[in-house]
Amino acid sequence: MSTYIKLAWRNLWRNKKRTLIAAASVFFAVILALLMRSMQTGYYDYMIDASVRMYTGYIQVHGKDYWEKRSLEESMVTNADQINKLKNINGVQLIVPRFETYSLISHGNKTKVVQITGIDPQLETKLTDLKKKIVSGLYLSDSSKGIVLAQGLAEILKVEVGDSLVIYGQGYHGVTAAAQILIIGIVKFTLPELNKSFSYLSLSYAQWLFSAPERLTSLSIMIDNPKDLDRIKSDIQKVFNDKYEVMDWEELSPELIQSIQIDNASGIIMLGILYIVIAFGIFGTIMMMTAERVKEFGILISVGMKKWKLALVSIYETLFISFIGVFAGAIISIPILLYFKANPIPLTGEMADAIMAWGFEPILPFAVYPGMFFAQIWTVLAIAMVSALYPVLFIRKLKPVEAMRG
Amino acid sequence: MFKSVFYLAMMFCFILSNNYAQNATEIVKKADELMRAKSSYSEITMEIVKPDWSRKMGMKVWALEPDFSIIYITEPARDKGTVTLKRKTEVWNWLPSAQKVIKIPPSMMLQSWMGSDFTNDDLVRESSVIKDYTHKMIGEENIDGLDCYKIQLTPKPDAGVVWGKVIAWIVKDTYLEPKVEYYDEDGLLVKKFIGSNLQKMDGRNIFSHWEMIPEDKPDNKTIMDYNKIQFNIKTDESFYSEQNMKRVR
Amino acid sequence: MLLTLAWRNIWRNKKRSLIIISAIAVGLCCGLFASATMFGMWDSMINTTIDRDLGHFQIHSKSYEEEKLLTDTIPNFQNIVTKLNSTKFVAGVSSRTIIEGMASSAATSNGVRILGINSDSEKNITSIHQQIIKGSYFGEGWKNQIVIGEKLADNLGIRERSKIVLSFQGVDGSIIYGAFRVAGIYKTESSVFDKTNIFVKEDELLSLLNSKKISNEIVVRLSSVQQLDSVYLPTKLMYSDLSVKYWGELAPELKLFYDMLLTQMYIFVGIILFALLFGITNTMLMSVMERVREFGVLMAVGMKRSRVFLMIILETISLSFIGGFAGIILALIFIEYFGYVGINLSAFTEGLSQWSLGTQLYTSLPFSFYPPLALMILGTSILGAFYPALKAIRLNPAKAIRTY
Repeated sequence: MSTYIKLAWRNLWRNKKRTLIAAASVFFAVILALLMRSMQTGYYDYMIDASVRMYTGYIQVHGKDYWEKRSLEESMVTNADQINKLKNINGVQLIVPRFETYSLISHGNKTKVVQITGIDPQLETKLTDLKKKIVSGLYLSDSSKGIVLAQGLAEILKVEVGDSLVIYGQGYHGVTAAAQILIIGIVKFTLPELNKSFSYLSLSYAQWLFSAPERLTSLSIMIDNPKDLDRIKSDIQKVFNDKYEVMDWEELSPELIQSIQIDNASGIIMLGILYIVIAFGIFGTIMMMTAERVKEFGILISVGMKKWKLALVSIYETLFISFIGVFAGAIISIPILLYFKANPIPLTGEMADAIMAWGFEPILPFAVYPGMFFAQIWTVLAIAMVSALYPVLFIRKLKPVEAMRG
Repeated sequence: MFKSVFYLAMMFCFILSNNYAQNATEIVKKADELMRAKSSYSEITMEIVKPDWSRKMGMKVWALEPDFSIIYITEPARDKGTVTLKRKTEVWNWLPSAQKVIKIPPSMMLQSWMGSDFTNDDLVRESSVIKDYTHKMIGEENIDGLDCYKIQLTPKPDAGVVWGKVIAWIVKDTYLEPKVEYYDEDGLLVKKFIGSNLQKMDGRNIFSHWEMIPEDKPDNKTIMDYNKIQFNIKTDESFYSEQNMKRVR
Repeated sequence: MLLTLAWRNIWRNKKRSLIIISAIAVGLCCGLFASATMFGMWDSMINTTIDRDLGHFQIHSKSYEEEKLLTDTIPNFQNIVTKLNSTKFVAGVSSRTIIEGMASSAATSNGVRILGINSDSEKNITSIHQQIIKGSYFGEGWKNQIVIGEKLADNLGIRERSKIVLSFQGVDGSIIYGAFRVAGIYKTESSVFDKTNIFVKEDELLSLLNSKKISNEIVVRLSSVQQLDSVYLPTKLMYSDLSVKYWGELAPELKLFYDMLLTQMYIFVGIILFALLFGITNTMLMSVMERVREFGVLMAVGMKRSRVFLMIILETISLSFIGGFAGIILALIFIEYFGYVGINLSAFTEGLSQWSLGTQLYTSLPFSFYPPLALMILGTSILGAFYPALKAIRLNPAKAIRTY
């Protein structure tokens, strides 16, 4: 057994150039496959992250039935103890409380129905960057008694910072909520639907106005690592003992998960196409290598080497080449991928402006996961090993006399 | 002589049948007018009952039927001074804490009024029971010791009402309405409106206790108690104005 | 002469040449197919939204954008419609009255966008009439027919023939109620759309409003999106006092998605080109390596190195042409096939619904894409040959001849 291996190994180094070229084809295949997959995965992770940051966070806690009914009657109360337990869960990055309802807002004789969100200003902006969206006036503080309006709303109502509005709506248990309120700031959203309907109050003021002391409609939670989602979700459920509903972003925005999966679908098709090109590269090289050694094979067979032995040796040769190529490719790609993960490629031009207008960063992100890493490696290895079949078939069909003539 | 008897009999039958045919609509009309008259002033306590909480509101209501009314909330303290003005199909609210009159936009018309099971729309649409429906007598029933006509109201094809049908029980002779049921187009009961506690107020016998019960949430109800009613008060259209909203007490 | 030599060289070793040709052909086919996949996705997404609702461009009064009030109407709209109807490339023009309101059933109510339309002219601009799943598109006999989306029907708990009451604000501010009966229920790829948009006959809506004929929106559909500029731009100039916007401006999220798709396409094709480059380089290198003796002889008998270089390049070019040609044919076959049969992405339907894509992806690639892509790939192949060719000419002829 070991003779064949020795023979194969020596064959390889007899013609260094040929071996290196063949190994190189596998090497580049591994690097390219890893780069592409890393880019795709990085992009999905980024899209998910950017989208959950827009509003919902990765996980939300609501009062029972709130998601379906969406009224203050389904709001919840939390205590400091529960919040502490949440903070202590491994992997929880941010907990953002909100008090969400809708009301009439009126100025002069213009009245509009708007979304009102009572927020903790510091926490809210950590999640959604709300503070950065202020285009005029000031951001809210914890004790603010004023309102921050979306720009589109301000335009419709023809108001600006410093004007006063009347809020009129229904609070908890149907109590009337009505007050005159001062506009402290104006924010701008890129999505026109948000820009025409959102407004913000400080949490404590909203709770007072709507007669709902200590009550919240949702807790939005950001986590460090999306892969921990399921574990964290069940830990959160334990804290609240099933009294409240805990939903993850896939349940909160089912359209989002699927729209990212479209990209996944097309990405997989792309990856498949890449593999076809790669496979041809590897096959081509191996085939070429074999075809050019026809004379060598012819001689060996004529001097008495059994065909199957020759085939075995060539299989070992291909295996070695594959392993060398894959190993080298894997080792080299690790630092490359890690570098890009830390320093994503920036996008420029019109494309970048469009992305920034939406509040996303104009970059090409990369992601590296062990699972994905090994998946690509095994696939390329498999392709390389399959290509070992070609020399075997070739040898089978070889006619020594013709072969020797070259 | 037989001729005249015959003639009389014919007349009698004619009157009878006419009476009977028109009866359903007339009955409904009379029932509707019982609680209204041309104008009225009432003091009402409304209680909103939910499975885990309840709320009581006191109000004074001036009405000039069918198009005008003013509702002034007397309690609780947080809502006191809030006024709802209805003029034909439009509704305004006066908010004392904000010192502002707000007109209710169409999108809010179907939201609940002051947290109750009534919508803003309900306030506005009461008067359509005659013109939006055709009326048919479908039987008689005894409710709580009172003999009632059972009348089915079917919405006319163009009428902007969501119900498939409404069934009203109206007491014979007194035209009290102890029960009204609202059904959707599939014949499913959606909500009931039940009157009880017969009392004499301002010369009329009326129910002073009313409950509105949604069928799918039986622990929820809205209860109205008439503490006082005056019929045919002196009032005219000019009373029902935006300026007056701020002045009523 | 060199060309003849190059050509004969190729056919001297059929196997080697066939391998290189197939590598190029497959590379080209893959690159084209990848682009066709991305393009097919964009195309179907754009067209679905254009077909469903947007049209290729729309006209509104300038004030309509802000609050979309009923009273923001287009002056002289009859003339505009007539004029556009007679413009070349215009497949259909439709005028709509639009009002925001509430739709209620016995169970509950929802905010809706009420579109008063002319059902005949709408058929020329949108595909809703082909997406009716229950009932018909205004084909019933009764008055006040209404066509609603499946999502709304579910929310309100109603079906065809059910009564639905619309309430909205009239011109004088009072609230108007109208009873309608569901004639048909439609379903599009977007459940958000289905929940909000309902269609009634324009004249019935106007009579409820007690208003004469008005128009809030004119939707124009062209025979193909390629003609957009030739019709949209002049129209925009002609009606400078009105707001004339094309689909990209009306649905900026579509435009963003398109731009991102385009970038992704370039990147992936770029990566595939890289893969091809390495593949070709390797294969050519191997081939050159094995012809070391041959090159040695050539250079020993006096062929100039530059000519050897050129010869190899010419060989590669010839191989590329053949491979390229084969690749294009292959690509056309695959793209046509999947353009007809489609790739099934049904596992992802719900998300696709939000982005207005159906469950089948039909590949397509406009002919304008073929030349640049083909050239890129051929260029890559030739580039791939440079290094091996360089290696060939750096050989020492004496040593080369003696190589095994």
